[in-house]
Amino acid sequence: MAETATSTVAFAFEVAPAIAILPLASFVIALFAGKYLPKRGALAGITATGGSLLLSLWVMLTVAGGAYYNEEIYTLVSTPDSFDLHFGLLLDPLSALMLVIVSLVAFLVHLFSLGYMNDEGEPGLPRYYAGLGLFTFSMLSFVLSDNLFMSFVFFELVGLCSWLLIGHWYREDAPPSAAKKAFLVTRFGDYFFLVGVVAIFATFGTATFAGAESFPTLAEEALAGSGGAGGELPTFGLSAQGWFTVLGLLVLGGVLGKSAQFPLHTWLPDAMEGPTPVSALIHAATMVAAGVYLVARMYGFYALSPTALAIVAFVGGFTALFAASMAVVKRDVKQVLAYSTISQYGYMMLGLGAGGYVAAVFHLMTHAFFKALLFLGAGAVIIAMHHRQDMWEMGGLKNKLPVTYYTFLAGSLALAGIVPFAGFWSKDEVLYEALVHGLNDPLLLAAYLMGLTAVFFTGFYTFRMVLLTFHGEPRTHTARNPHSLGWSVKTPLVVLGILATVIGLANMTPIAEATGLEIEFLHTWLEHGLEGVNSEHYGEVLETVAGYSAAELSPLLAAVFSLSLALAGAGLAYRLYSGDRPEHHTDRLGAAKRLLTDNYYQDEYQVWIAQTLGTGVARASDRFDQGVVDGVVNGVSSVSLFSGDRVRRVQTGIVSNYATLLTLGLVALLVGVGLAGGWFL
Amino acid sequence: MVAVQYYLLLSAAIFCIGLFGILTRRNALFFLMSVELMLNAANINLVAFSFQYGNLTGQVFSLFITALAAAEVAVGIGIVLVLYRNFGDVDVTKATTLRW
Amino acid sequence: MTTRPRLKLGSHLVPGLVALALFVVLAAVFLTASFENAQGFGGAPITASIGYAMFDLAGGEVPSDGFLIAFEIIDLVLIAALAAAVMLARRESDGKLVGVESIRTDGGRSADSAADYAGSADDADADADTDTGVSSKEGAISADEKVGEAN
Repeated sequence: MAETATSTVAFAFEVAPAIAILPLASFVIALFAGKYLPKRGALAGITATGGSLLLSLWVMLTVAGGAYYNEEIYTLVSTPDSFDLHFGLLLDPLSALMLVIVSLVAFLVHLFSLGYMNDEGEPGLPRYYAGLGLFTFSMLSFVLSDNLFMSFVFFELVGLCSWLLIGHWYREDAPPSAAKKAFLVTRFGDYFFLVGVVAIFATFGTATFAGAESFPTLAEEALAGSGGAGGELPTFGLSAQGWFTVLGLLVLGGVLGKSAQFPLHTWLPDAMEGPTPVSALIHAATMVAAGVYLVARMYGFYALSPTALAIVAFVGGFTALFAASMAVVKRDVKQVLAYSTISQYGYMMLGLGAGGYVAAVFHLMTHAFFKALLFLGAGAVIIAMHHRQDMWEMGGLKNKLPVTYYTFLAGSLALAGIVPFAGFWSKDEVLYEALVHGLNDPLLLAAYLMGLTAVFFTGFYTFRMVLLTFHGEPRTHTARNPHSLGWSVKTPLVVLGILATVIGLANMTPIAEATGLEIEFLHTWLEHGLEGVNSEHYGEVLETVAGYSAAELSPLLAAVFSLSLALAGAGLAYRLYSGDRPEHHTDRLGAAKRLLTDNYYQDEYQVWIAQTLGTGVARASDRFDQGVVDGVVNGVSSVSLFSGDRVRRVQTGIVSNYATLLTLGLVALLVGVGLAGGWFL
Repeated sequence: MVAVQYYLLLSAAIFCIGLFGILTRRNALFFLMSVELMLNAANINLVAFSFQYGNLTGQVFSLFITALAAAEVAVGIGIVLVLYRNFGDVDVTKATTLRW
Repeated sequence: MTTRPRLKLGSHLVPGLVALALFVVLAAVFLTASFENAQGFGGAPITASIGYAMFDLAGGEVPSDGFLIAFEIIDLVLIAALAAAVMLARRESDGKLVGVESIRTDGGRSADSAADYAGSADDADADADTDTGVSSKEGAISADEKVGEAN
């Protein structure tokens, strides 16, 4: 009996690579055979992601049984006495959870695409489904990866896929530009990530996440001074902790780019130019999650450096507030969602930086569901509105699109953090963690306060969006006669709507604290796992190495406080926009509105930096290239040209001259050999 | 009995006379004659060393070289013919098209 | 017009100095080298031994390698040379030489003969005339050659 159980477990892990490979197969099918298939590759994608979902659930169940997996499966480069580059699988509670989230959202997005893309007769469907398949493959492989090198490879692939998908409608003006921007901005962050990966290899000789030889473990040993393998690491002149901070910040560069944190967030709102299901897949639930997931994955490393943690927390808190303020004035429903996405990922970073590992993962999970729901809901509205996205052209859709309305409302309540929807529990826990740790650390406290302020804004913009879209009188002809929606649109909405409502129950910390019940399932889930990569271990490290200490505070108090702020924001929105004919209240903000609609001139200053600094550097390197590099190359070529021109005169074409030269050579050779051999003595 | 050095000297002298002809003459037919001289210088060497070591191989080889010289002349004459057809002359210094 | 040969001196003899230098070097090497006394053949029948050696037969009194294969190869070489000579010398029924046209290269033609080549049928005829003119000399040479080979 025990043996059967073991073999089932082993088999579950054996087939785990198929989770990633199935979408890859659908990519290949859609790319090469998509034209000939009835739904242009959609069915292949749905089947593949559905299979991935089932396998992920199986792996999750296996992991829940207490079995973990951490193996190399393919070695790319192997050097003796040094590091090796390999692909491997790391299946523990965190990655199993993330696998389920990613494959579920990918599955639903594929389904939704049937309604959004196929039924609307969009061109380029095989390309679209190929992109979705490749994207899902990359993201799942990223989640599965057991080392930083493999993560980096798939991190980049995810970026490539986002470029492909955002630029899907490449014949229009905006999408290609947005795609390029997304690619370049995230790539800017990835430079730091790449340097970080190389530096981690140089420091530790390994980049695996888990195990006795993993880099977080080695770093921890080095800091503890316990000798061992981590005893004498090269730290390049810095103290060990200082150097680890530098490494963590380098990797954080990639995280800031992918997770759209300040100041590299500017690509995400533009990326809304892509098809809406793509926005749901890439920019809400998965790709942007990659950054946060990466920090969570190597949290054992970040936990060693209080400085890096504080920066993570502060950037997160600032981004949460900064993005939320911009979402307040947007007219486009997808733009509002885009800024709310940035803001919510800010919360996750805040949670991670504040030492709330479980809280951040919790928010990652709930956000994945409710934000995918909101994006898909927005997609449904956009279908109904014949691809109009301006909220001021909508209104009154509540009665025409009841399914969309109620699911969207569920998602909005979750986003705003209203009890008992999912977002409330997770956001509240993030803020609670920030608060209890922040009471001993002013920087964290500042981050917490920004996060708290953002709660108010979140409530406000969320309900502004809901009210403008669904309530009041229809403001345009299109809104009076919306397009009907098919089952493939409604099914994902219903599934996600249910999840967004109930998933928060997985971790009701305030209730647990108040009643003493053991209902913090996610805490239990993440507490175990492989040695050194579970939340229990992280808690110890945070306390001993980073010196985090939690103040004694009831979570109920913090929960009530943030809930009241969210309700205040929602209430304000309701007061301002609930009438039949809401007014443009944001106009009253005057210059501030301009500042907000122009995104604090973030794009402008980044373009300015790129133009002044970028062209300066480019000009200098151009001069170097033209002068030095080309000079050397041209010099070499002109020397050989000149000498060739002279030397070729030897080739007179006259046989006698050749014979003379031959004879001369023979004489010289004879004399030389003779002298060397002593023939003339 | 003549010491082998003198055979070698004779051979070197004939070879260098042939070489001299090649280096100074311009007529392709003289080239063929000079090459004949050089080949025969080699023959003298072979026969001399055959005698020196009491082994016949060198002698037999010199016969082969004579045969080879005949073939060489056949080819050489062909080249001279083509030279004449193309340049209207058998002067080797005229044929300078294979240069830069 | 003199009939007496004359020594033509001039700068064209300068390359000959190289040949002289080669002779000097060779002579220096040979004269400084020391050799043992010649073994000689001790009165053995040399020509007969050459015959045995040539056909790889036992019976030669002087030691030697076997040369049967070399003999056959030289045979082939001579036949090839003979065939080539015949081909160069043979005439077609219209009196043109065979093979020479194809040997002719562009680079060798002077400007006027190139014009001939590109010209009309009449020009081609004229060309053919000169061809035959030349080929008579060639034929003579080839004949000599054949005699030489036969010897």
